Amino acid sequence: MNALNWLTGRPTQLSGEQQHRLEQLAAPAALDTAILDQQRMVVVDVETSGLNVKRDQLLAIGAVVIENGAVDLAQHFECTLSCENHKVSASVLIHGLAPSMIAAGTEPAEALLDFMTFVGSSPLLAFHAAFDQRMLSRALKQSLGYRLQHDFFDVAQLAPMLCPDAALEHAGLDSWTQHFGLQVQQRHNASADALATAELSLILLCKARQQKLDSLLALQQRLNLWLRRPGRHSL
Amino acid sequence: MAENEFERAGKTAVSQNIHGTVEFLQKFPPFNQMDLTHLVYLVEHCQLRFYSQGESILKPSDGPVDYFYIVKQGLIRGARPHAAKANGETTFEITTGECFPLSALIGERATRTEHIAAQDSFCLLLRKAIFIKLFELSAPLRDFALRGVSSLLDQVNQQVQLRATESLGSQYSLDSKLSERLMRKPVSCAPDTTVREAVKIMHEQHVGSIVIVSQRLQPLGIFTLRDLRRVIADGSSLELPIEQLMTAKPFRLPASASTFDAAIAMTERNIAHVCVVEHGQLSGVVSERDLFSLQRVDLVYLARSIRNASKLETLINLRSNIQQLVDRMLAHGASSTQITQLITQLNDHTVCRVIELTIEELGDPGFAFTWLCFGSEGRREQTLLTDQDNGIMFAAENTADAAAKRERLLPLAHAINLHLAQCGFTLCKGNIMAGNPELCLSQQEWSQRFDDFISNATPENLLGSCIYFDLRVVWGEPQGCAQLRTELLDKFAKNTLSQRMLAENALRQRPPVGRFRDFVVARKGVEKDTLDLKVQGLTPFVDGARLLALANGIESSNTLERLQGLIDKGVIDAQDGAAYEEAYHFIQQTRMQHHQQQAKQGLEYSNRIDPDRLNHLDRRILRESFRQAKRLQSSLALRYQL
Repeated sequence: MNALNWLTGRPTQLSGEQQHRLEQLAAPAALDTAILDQQRMVVVDVETSGLNVKRDQLLAIGAVVIENGAVDLAQHFECTLSCENHKVSASVLIHGLAPSMIAAGTEPAEALLDFMTFVGSSPLLAFHAAFDQRMLSRALKQSLGYRLQHDFFDVAQLAPMLCPDAALEHAGLDSWTQHFGLQVQQRHNASADALATAELSLILLCKARQQKLDSLLALQQRLNLWLRRPGRHSL
Repeated sequence: MAENEFERAGKTAVSQNIHGTVEFLQKFPPFNQMDLTHLVYLVEHCQLRFYSQGESILKPSDGPVDYFYIVKQGLIRGARPHAAKANGETTFEITTGECFPLSALIGERATRTEHIAAQDSFCLLLRKAIFIKLFELSAPLRDFALRGVSSLLDQVNQQVQLRATESLGSQYSLDSKLSERLMRKPVSCAPDTTVREAVKIMHEQHVGSIVIVSQRLQPLGIFTLRDLRRVIADGSSLELPIEQLMTAKPFRLPASASTFDAAIAMTERNIAHVCVVEHGQLSGVVSERDLFSLQRVDLVYLARSIRNASKLETLINLRSNIQQLVDRMLAHGASSTQITQLITQLNDHTVCRVIELTIEELGDPGFAFTWLCFGSEGRREQTLLTDQDNGIMFAAENTADAAAKRERLLPLAHAINLHLAQCGFTLCKGNIMAGNPELCLSQQEWSQRFDDFISNATPENLLGSCIYFDLRVVWGEPQGCAQLRTELLDKFAKNTLSQRMLAENALRQRPPVGRFRDFVVARKGVEKDTLDLKVQGLTPFVDGARLLALANGIESSNTLERLQGLIDKGVIDAQDGAAYEEAYHFIQQTRMQHHQQQAKQGLEYSNRIDPDRLNHLDRRILRESFRQAKRLQSSLALRYQL
């Protein structure tokens, strides 16, 4: 055991193979002007033991891929993470992950390596992305000592920006799926939520195209302007 | 509870989203009948795509279709290009759970219709390669897809007819019902009306015929201008009641009969008027001119010219008219069954006339004889490519009498064969012709011959003799032949060994289909890359239908009638029978179109075709038709345990 673990902030030791995989992970691609329709994007949703990004634990990750303008059902990621000292809290009523399922889950380091391999260099999309980003960042840091630097797009921000007529500025995923009449198979299941978010994203990407935003870079720039627009009251 | 857990475990074996999509699809056919593993495979290979309202999903100019589409959500509109409307004309709407474009995908072509999202829509897209793989694996998917194609076949036929209609500038189809063609009330009179009075009515009404009806409007007779000529030539009184000079019991058809039925009846009976009746009452008269006023398919005229030809030369010249007629009928969307029926009928007229003219030339033998035909002619399935397969039957007291009569008939029979050859009926290479002493037999000898065929059958000689089982009378009294057929059915029903051998023969010609995408074609020689539509495609149906018909006492010799008879008797399943019929029909149609093309290019008729030269749709349907032939064969193999 490395005595300096606590200093480097790497709490658990990785196996040789895991270490190798960690080193092989692709670096995030910089946002560029590649045509939106040809981009690979990973749409992610996480389930956690609660809403506190500093304390609560990552329980499950679900992700789907948008590539060439379509959700490719062949590429999907779904994993429940095993978790020491997991205490059943009220959040079980939301995510529905029973203690037995969490006990039977994948070891976090392994799960997160799998996930990051799945992500590759692609940018990520999520609904209320800041939350997913922080939960993932913390877990990656803790389990792998990995610094998450991939770009995240918040679908909760893109949606009102691209659909001003919907008048749903601070709405949740449910409001948006309802607005577009999307069917969600099982709400608060990471995979199903990711798919719903991806369907929503397909609609939004189509709107973006119609508004001549044809690259992720253009989308990002517009979003920055939109977030700083005068008269916008902060959360 | 335990069961519930097991269920859940089974479900979590696939990812939540795959499972969710599978569950969604399971609400709709054909996915609700598909094996779960196939369905999971399908979903795992899908992509989900969004189309905003008004977006074009597929259009004819995109070229051959690459994906199978399932609507997950929304509404898709099919629009055919339409000059007057900017967006085309809506032809169909496809909504949640439905899929498209089956026919274009299976036909390996572009769609004929632009598919536009009528609402914001999501579709699941499956690559063609995966679809084809599943099509092979999953019977429910295959059936579903092919049902689409089969209704498409109807559409193709409708289109052909539509084109014909357009060029004629009127609603015309050989399939239209007689009731649709009755423009005016029938002109009729009572039986005691005088001829003078009747002719006056005809003159006033500008018609060529008058129907004599009973008080309850039942047709009793018909009187036409042709009859009037006869009355005047004979010097009969015009004051006689018309019932004494009318043609009694006029030919009648129900109003539901088709134009084609009327045309065929006129050709067959050499009549120019058909009474149309509903519930026994006269509802109209269809004349030759009514049927053919709109176009030049004058088959009644042609039949009459053949029947009245005074010289062999005239008959030879009329041959080319038959070809033109078939050409036009194909263009008018006539079906292969209608055309083979028509060719057979005109051929029958030609054969009869050739026999009569030859008798005039060589002298009457002085006793009655019957002209028999076998094979395709016997089955009434002739195309323009026709061999002679014929024979003679006569009555004889004893062996010596039979030999004497044969001596007398053979020169005549030989001459008839040669004359027929001049009229375009190719001489039979196997010498199955009436001029052959072995086929110019008394009824007794024929009966003996059939006995031999059956009791001394070997697979080899049955192969040669089975065409005799499709016999029919073309000229002469039919009773002798009817007796012969009854005997044949009787002998055959009892002899399961020969049934079995016939079944073996029926399996000899394997339909030329291989794996999913391939036809089996000749590999070398002049026949390289081609297959034989007749031998490899039609023969399995003809052989199968013959065997089952003979074994089950069905008298008809026509393949489609045999199949119908087998369905009626419950020997084959109605759906199977319908599929066989449709397949047989399509192969025959393809063969005839092929012959027409050869005729146009001045080539010799051949039944060999290069499937790659067919359009994609025809090729796919042809392949499925061969597959039906294969199914028929496997059902025979099962039935006779071969």
